[in-house]
Amino acid sequence: MSNKILFVVQRPPYKSENPKLAITHAMSCYTADMHIDEEVEPTLAYVGDGVLNCIKDQKAEEIYGIVSTDQHLKIQLTGDMKILVCKEDMERLGIQEERLVDGRDLGADMDLNVVTFEEILKEMDEGCDHLMFF
Amino acid sequence: MKLGVFYSELRGNHDVLFRLKAEKLGIFLVSNGIYHAIIKEKGEPSPVLQKQGADYYVLSEDLQTRGFSTDEVDSNVKVVTYSDIADHIMNDYDKLAWL
Repeated sequence: MSNKILFVVQRPPYKSENPKLAITHAMSCYTADMHIDEEVEPTLAYVGDGVLNCIKDQKAEEIYGIVSTDQHLKIQLTGDMKILVCKEDMERLGIQEERLVDGRDLGADMDLNVVTFEEILKEMDEGCDHLMFF
Repeated sequence: MKLGVFYSELRGNHDVLFRLKAEKLGIFLVSNGIYHAIIKEKGEPSPVLQKQGADYYVLSEDLQTRGFSTDEVDSNVKVVTYSDIADHIMNDYDKLAWL
């Protein structure tokens, strides 16, 4: 039986290291030795200003020489990680779905899941064993 | 006083910004401050852009880093590069603040 961890990101990208830490922690669930005796299933959820992490075509690599957050998200999508994005917060900030990261060019079969905050709450309540806020 | 203000937060305390007074005031939107030049929360421009008499600038590199292009920027905000900001600091403002 897998151990489900939900990583909730509530801050915009880059200014603080928290949003990137959420992704790298989620990634590490697949590989880290600390989970050697158990299968871990990570999910990422973006709420509040955190939905700004999911904007595509970020140029952090070209400008600052760091892996951009959208590139990290694409890689997670190719690994079939479930990634939720809060619909109400996207609407509040005027972000259309076509502005979101798409991992299809890297061969991902999954897309970001735009869901209501109610659905994210349900994931917190019923869909995970552990909850981590970033 | 000719004051240049760097604003780098999306959810900063706008109160201090609005209490600042200067004969010339430039507000540089950098880092996560760039969202004020782009995002229209609930369809409204950011309150940070409402400071009367201020000149607004947004850093192009930080816009692009976050996935936005210069043509999405509010018409009251001028897009500048790092080099432009250095020129403004040296030529147009004699004091700087980082909010």
